[in-house]
Amino acid sequence: MMPLRSRTYTACSGCSLCLLSCPVWRNTHDIRLTPHGRAKAMQHGATAIDLAESLDSCTLCGACEPACPESIDLVGMVTGLRGELALQREATPPFDGVLPAPTGNISPPTMLIAEQSMSDNPGLLRSIIEQLGGDVAVSVSSDSGTDISIALSDGLPIPAERLEHFLAPLRTTLRVIVADGRLFYALKNWLHGVTIASLGEALSALPQVRSKLSDGDLYVIESVAFHRDHERLISHYDSLRLASGCSMNLDLQRMAVPTTASARAHGREFVEEQVRWILQGRAPTRIVVEDLADIPAFQRVADVPVIHVGALL
Amino acid sequence: MDIPVIDIGNLPADPVAPDALLGIKRQQTNPKRWNEPVWADFATALTAAGVELIEQKFVTGTFATDAGGTAYGLPHGVVIAKDAAQISTLMSTAQRYRVPVTVRGGGLTTEGESVAFGGVLLDMTGMSRVLSIDAANLTVRTQAGIFWHSLAEVLRRENLDYLSAPLNMTSSVGGTIGVGGIDVNSARLGCSADQAIALQVVTPTGEIVECSDTQNTALFERMILGYGQFGVITEATLKVRPYQPIAMHYFYYTSLATAIEDLQMLDANDASDYSGILTMMDKVVNLLVAFDSDEREAAFKVDWLHRLRGHGELGISLRMGLYYALRPWRMREALYLRERKNTLFPEFRRPEHTRSGKMTDRTVVFSRAVWKHWGSRQMVIPDLATSSEKFIDATLKGNAVCKKYFRYYTLYCVGIKLRPEHTAHYEMSCIPPDAVTRAYGCEFEPMMGDLNAEDCYSRDTLQSFKNEIYDIGVGIGASYYRFGGMMKGYIRRVFGDEVVDRHLAMKRKADPNMILNRDVVF
Repeated sequence: MMPLRSRTYTACSGCSLCLLSCPVWRNTHDIRLTPHGRAKAMQHGATAIDLAESLDSCTLCGACEPACPESIDLVGMVTGLRGELALQREATPPFDGVLPAPTGNISPPTMLIAEQSMSDNPGLLRSIIEQLGGDVAVSVSSDSGTDISIALSDGLPIPAERLEHFLAPLRTTLRVIVADGRLFYALKNWLHGVTIASLGEALSALPQVRSKLSDGDLYVIESVAFHRDHERLISHYDSLRLASGCSMNLDLQRMAVPTTASARAHGREFVEEQVRWILQGRAPTRIVVEDLADIPAFQRVADVPVIHVGALL
Repeated sequence: MDIPVIDIGNLPADPVAPDALLGIKRQQTNPKRWNEPVWADFATALTAAGVELIEQKFVTGTFATDAGGTAYGLPHGVVIAKDAAQISTLMSTAQRYRVPVTVRGGGLTTEGESVAFGGVLLDMTGMSRVLSIDAANLTVRTQAGIFWHSLAEVLRRENLDYLSAPLNMTSSVGGTIGVGGIDVNSARLGCSADQAIALQVVTPTGEIVECSDTQNTALFERMILGYGQFGVITEATLKVRPYQPIAMHYFYYTSLATAIEDLQMLDANDASDYSGILTMMDKVVNLLVAFDSDEREAAFKVDWLHRLRGHGELGISLRMGLYYALRPWRMREALYLRERKNTLFPEFRRPEHTRSGKMTDRTVVFSRAVWKHWGSRQMVIPDLATSSEKFIDATLKGNAVCKKYFRYYTLYCVGIKLRPEHTAHYEMSCIPPDAVTRAYGCEFEPMMGDLNAEDCYSRDTLQSFKNEIYDIGVGIGASYYRFGGMMKGYIRRVFGDEVVDRHLAMKRKADPNMILNRDVVF
């Protein structure tokens, strides 16, 4: 059960704990670009337009939320304000009115919502499907929900018809495995009675994956899903770390340091700075990532093999 | 006494007057807001000099209060610290226009010391980078706005750790050096301020100066524990040490005095690496003892464990059960204690911060617990700092005051090892003048609820509570960690005219227009 984060900016007492794991804070040291800065500014009358730069800079990694002692919905605060900002900017929604083709093999026990980029690597995708399913059939959703994920990030309304088209086949399954962290959290709220797991969690729970990790590996957790279900997932990854001896992109608070490669907020330099910070003081012989977008980011900086966790299978 | 004359209008009429509080029921010294027409010219000059000055209300409002949440003030503008040169420009310009500058690190003051009542708020967290680590000589050079936790993150990658720091992740290095900084290893390693080997300081008139025990020593003396009166710390060289997870032991007492006696016995005999007391009122008194190494832990078990009079968890539960069974009319208190125990104890044993029975990140564990279970929108934490000999008396008297005002409260007691060669640093600081070898501090913190909750108290109640605690200090000859800001009326009463006037003279010489951290001490 994920913790309920229903409190708003009004509850912020300014403790600054949210800054400690914030990648934007780490790179800018500008309090205006942090959850603390946004909440306090709103307490003093700031509007979405006033906070435009701050809102645009947020990577939505969600590391601030488990740190917040007031249980404020800090990610929801950003996406809500982004929605207001989009209205004022007259932003174009990511929906083109064309619905994706329906997914075949209706009602499989497990449905995988893979990243769009995974279709570029059919071998990896096939291997993941085989291993995730075991004796049970796994179908890949033909609808990656990328436009919905973008809308969620930008606080934009999702047309009811589009959302229903996305959710309908998922309701007939027992388990949904999703690669996109933002969809992971949304699906937890949208689909009741269906088990939702992140792709990273699902793969790293497999014995055949765990057995192939060793103390020379740096395992890079996808941060968005991790922080959204932190209280539960922290035990999962802690046991993985103990069992394999691998290091992880966790800071001292046990938040996942994100590369932010999947976020659209910052450029290459920012991402590489994050990657350098993850690697600082570490000398892995291999880097294993949950998010495909992290592979090129690490390859640009590190001189060791970088693979997706699915490639361990 | 040679106190330079300052033009009338640049200073409050009588800073830290001995009788300033007489006849004022609230006994509070919230300063008047500085609001002079020269601001516009200053802002123009500062901007022309290349310093970004942020004047939007929603940004200045970000700094409207501190962790205490009882002092409120708005700066006219905010400067986010970038480097020493920028701060030098700020200070020299502010001096020229006589504009007050209030420096803020983590903002964890409780008496408004980091709140700007007009003028400029200098946000030091903008300078939060670690500059270099010398692993061979066990030192680190860091920008001073950095949070201790962020410093620990960088040090840990080199398998290093700081020596001692407040059990609060968002305390800043510079702010802590200015006021002290107490950890549960301070009885052995001293306060955080004593870790500083060298500092880069921007003086109130804008000079950039390096100081240490051997270089510009007079300035170094005043910067350590100087409450930010003599300069802005921009960089610091600190001692560090190899990182070690720690083995924790908890002993529970029903007598505060007995627990303190045992704490002081352990400290005096260097029996542990970490020691401190944390209580639930005076009903459950927890003496925590911890060790960096198996050898130290083993020696403690052989030599000192049998001398401790505390109980284990089962023992204290049985005693509490019996105590409240005989006092059914206090069942509400019993339920509170049980609920508190059930929520707090797991926090200190979180598996992700425990390896092979040892706590791996003590500051994370303690700080998260502090904010989650002790923190609220308002935090009032008056304290008493005394010599070893006076400590039990001071704590018992303070405890009686807590009981008078609040249903639920907590006490936090810890020892502070002193460095004889730093005696000059300790003058007019939280270190009491009669402390030798080791001082002790106790914080008295009421448990407060949110607005409309039963345990929500008026500002006057809180201020009266603080005054009663501080009156104990005046009576027994103690000092305080938090004597600035709203509590500065006690400064002359505790330190005496001679010391205060001497420091005031030094301040006026260093800061001709008294612009830096005005109203914190002077």
